[in-house]
Amino acid sequence: MEAFQGLIKGSLGSPAAIAGTLRETTPLLIAGIAVFFALRAGLFNIGVEGQLTVGACACAFVVLKIPGPFGIVLGTIAGMVAGGLWAMPAGLIKAYRGGHEVITTIMLNNVAGLFTLALVSGPMKDPTQEGTTTANIAESSHLPAVYDQNSLTISLALVFGLVGAIYLAGWFKRTVAGYEVRAVGANPTAAAVAGISAKNVIVRAMTTSGMIAGFAGAMQVLAFEHRFYGGFSPGYGFDALGVALLAGQSAFGLIPSSLLFGILAKGGTAIQIYGVPKGITTVILGVLIVVAAAIRYRKAKAVES
Amino acid sequence: MIVLTILISTITLSAPLILAALGGYTSERSGIINIGLEGKMLMAACVTSLAAAAFNNAVMGALCGIGSATLLSLLHWLLTQKFSLDHIISGMAINAIAMGGTNFLDRAFTDTERTSGVPVLPSLTLKLGSGATFPISIYLILAFLLPGLLALYIRRSRAGLRLLAVGNDPDKSRLMGVRPLRVRLVAALATGLFTGLAGAMILSNVGRFTNEMTAGRGYIALAALILGGWRPLQAMLACITFGLFEAIQIQLQGTNVLGAKIPSEAWSALPYLVTVIALAGFIGKSRAPLGLGKP
Repeated sequence: MEAFQGLIKGSLGSPAAIAGTLRETTPLLIAGIAVFFALRAGLFNIGVEGQLTVGACACAFVVLKIPGPFGIVLGTIAGMVAGGLWAMPAGLIKAYRGGHEVITTIMLNNVAGLFTLALVSGPMKDPTQEGTTTANIAESSHLPAVYDQNSLTISLALVFGLVGAIYLAGWFKRTVAGYEVRAVGANPTAAAVAGISAKNVIVRAMTTSGMIAGFAGAMQVLAFEHRFYGGFSPGYGFDALGVALLAGQSAFGLIPSSLLFGILAKGGTAIQIYGVPKGITTVILGVLIVVAAAIRYRKAKAVES
Repeated sequence: MIVLTILISTITLSAPLILAALGGYTSERSGIINIGLEGKMLMAACVTSLAAAAFNNAVMGALCGIGSATLLSLLHWLLTQKFSLDHIISGMAINAIAMGGTNFLDRAFTDTERTSGVPVLPSLTLKLGSGATFPISIYLILAFLLPGLLALYIRRSRAGLRLLAVGNDPDKSRLMGVRPLRVRLVAALATGLFTGLAGAMILSNVGRFTNEMTAGRGYIALAALILGGWRPLQAMLACITFGLFEAIQIQLQGTNVLGAKIPSEAWSALPYLVTVIALAGFIGKSRAPLGLGKP
């Protein structure tokens, strides 16, 4: 009980705690959108972790060379391209070879972690520092905050995430491309009969999901971390899977579910002083995934009968 | 000399992959998609370490480790078969529970005073020429004997054929009077046993638990199973191939290729890259059990 109070207090108890929670929520929301997008096409993109990492690395690389607003835009694009390219092989293998995307994306996660670690230990390393990290990006390359008073900071990145989730909800409902993605996710055979190229949609959905993940990585560099370092993501990709599964059928659901995971992440760090190891939040995540899926199953069954 | 070293470490490194792949085999042949091999191995490695230290007994450690993997396997059976949960979601949830759970158990119960490794099952050390040693553990022997025995058992016994039948067409099996859920329960127990052995072996090679020490081997084993066309002996060959790449990777760390210095991370990434390329290059779908994932 004390631990639970600590969790709430540590995540929502003060303006600074709320700012910390929102900071944790931002990458979970954007990465959650990435997982959600692939999930609608029936794909489990466990590779968001790796795509986010290469996206962040590519963004940092560009922004370190080109500072200022122009660099921010270019860096964001670079992050999205890198994330998309990292996801594309998994989509291609799934569509044309039938190799399951869960295995390929997890393998690519490991490769992404090692690849970027090699970069920050070698060519991208800041020689003035001990650790495997790049130099800090210039002040002019920081993504501005939309609200910054009384130690409560709300970053522009969070706004992007919120707008993205709301836009996506409409996109799936109202556009042809959105309908195609949902059709393939619901039943690839039926979609093929209806004249939709399922293979094409699978590759595009996987690549788009990777681009969104890369965007999440770019936002982490521009808005919060201001540099890239080895072991960049503390498991955002895996938590994002929980966010997306908990969100249910609509992209709107991503907003409350990412906030819940943000509270768990921030509060989970706070309660470590009570001797509760951080691993317990991952266990809660696993249980939440099961519960969310079970609830969804009950609903689907109720509709059927 | 270098060839001998690579050969020995190939055998040692492929053994846990083979055991895990057999766990995948019994599960997937009965129709349960099993993405959670990794989590079961990790949990088994952690519990083996903790129990071996607590009882100061290697056998108790291994038994508890296998028990923990079996519990997770039963959870997967319960979620997918009784509650009709998506097999992939259930598998991922089990991996998450294992990842967080082992982190928690390790922090909460590991004796920080202990400086030596935990007791592990003894192994026979063969001394080969030119100073090379080859430790042969009980796990190693099992890993190379079980695929053949399992293939024979599944092909020749009543229970084995029932397992294949349930995995190929659960509806027809039901009509023939075989209960898929019961067959799958036995298969899940076997999966727990094999992944438990794999986890216990990984632990006994190192002697102490570290976070995420299975390092994706459960997924590599699953890829090997797919490449082997869901057949035990072929899957074993695929596992040995992955083991070979891992052995080469360890051997070549820090060496130069064509005068260029290769970062150690590039070598470490080799087994994972090989897995992706292997999945890209071979079609395994047509040989999958037809009833995979069906209720």
